[in-house]
Amino acid sequence: MDGNFSYDPAKNYDEDTMAQQRAIEKEIAESQSLIGSVLSFDDIVEEYAKEDAVYRHKVEDLKTRYKTVRKVRGDGNCFFRAFGFAYLERLLTRPEEYSRFVDITQKSKDKLLALGFPQFTLEDFHDVFMDIVSQVKSPGTVEKLKETFNDQGLSDYFVVYLRLLVSGELQGNEGEYLHFIDGERTVKEFCGQEVEPMGKESDHIHIVALARSVGVPVAVEYMDREGNKCNLLSFSPGEGGEGGQEAQPSLFLLYRPGHYDILYPL
Amino acid sequence: MTTPARRRLMRDFKRLQEDPPSGVSGAPSDNNIMLWNAVIFGPHDTPFEDGTFKLTIEFTEEYPNKPPTVRFISKMFHPNVYADGSICLDILQNRWSPTYDVSAILTSIQSLLHDPNPNSPANNEAAQLYRENRREYEKKVAAIVQESWNDDDDEGEEDEEEEESKAGS
Repeated sequence: MDGNFSYDPAKNYDEDTMAQQRAIEKEIAESQSLIGSVLSFDDIVEEYAKEDAVYRHKVEDLKTRYKTVRKVRGDGNCFFRAFGFAYLERLLTRPEEYSRFVDITQKSKDKLLALGFPQFTLEDFHDVFMDIVSQVKSPGTVEKLKETFNDQGLSDYFVVYLRLLVSGELQGNEGEYLHFIDGERTVKEFCGQEVEPMGKESDHIHIVALARSVGVPVAVEYMDREGNKCNLLSFSPGEGGEGGQEAQPSLFLLYRPGHYDILYPL
Repeated sequence: MTTPARRRLMRDFKRLQEDPPSGVSGAPSDNNIMLWNAVIFGPHDTPFEDGTFKLTIEFTEEYPNKPPTVRFISKMFHPNVYADGSICLDILQNRWSPTYDVSAILTSIQSLLHDPNPNSPANNEAAQLYRENRREYEKKVAAIVQESWNDDDDEGEEDEEEEESKAGS
């Protein structure tokens, strides 16, 4: 930083901060597409230095259960985007599950309206969301889906609606989630600060709420510096979800500190 | 091809016309849907009452996923408005939600006039007077309310000057 920095009280530093943030986002955007291509684990190993034994070891561990990985842009929305893409990709070949998902997401709009979300803007997101979902009705293709998810405008609309679903799930079942929220804040405040704004990173509570709101079991492989193996956590939607309590996960994600990518099982 | 941002701004405009909130108005500029002009009328029972404050709202293609940049063009004296007219309001920064539309933005700014937040001051003098010397605060606000009525004339003069300089070149 400039050694001669002096605070100018009449200057709006928020705008500077936001401009800086935009510059960082632009740099990331240029190096990683929103939804990347399928990669082998050998490509992933390349990201780690030879001497980084812990991570290299864990990649070997992943190889025993997964065949490939698909990278997602790290823009704070990666959990939602990864979830959305991976699940719609799955629906391409599962017409029955597709119908279930359409049904549940169609109905979700009225639930959100009942919780007090503004109708005008909610409908806008819901319309685009349903349009994107309908793309995976047979005979949809992965290529087309990938194109849609790499269109920033459409892709972000999809992410927004998933965020609203999470917000609705949390606010609609406030009592169940209140104790999992850190800091002195209400569920509504938490949603306003950590769920609805774009770019806010996702934690367990977001994953649990999304899995429940759309009835889709999710599994996440946590890959960090502890232990020798990745740590698999399953987020089950509970009753009423796809396959009930002991459901097989519908999609697998890889978590490395601060980031989610998509995993494809063997 | 129309982008989601432009499509949404058309919808925002339509909604603002069909269901206008009281005390605010806004419309895209003549040839650019990404740049809007807006007016906020000073809310009743506040020192800003009777003022007509002009603002610009600048959108990017990332709207509504990112907030627009909103600025007062009319001179403002308020704890949360910077000297350049930009506004310190959480929903326009880190608490932005894509469910806000132009109507929600303008009514939020209107209620900020009503209810300043002296804990995050953008104008230290205004924040201090608001806390410690409400009478002086109201006097300063009354002055910019008066000025807000003259805005039209000012712009007219500027236009004339521009015309003259064009004629001269």
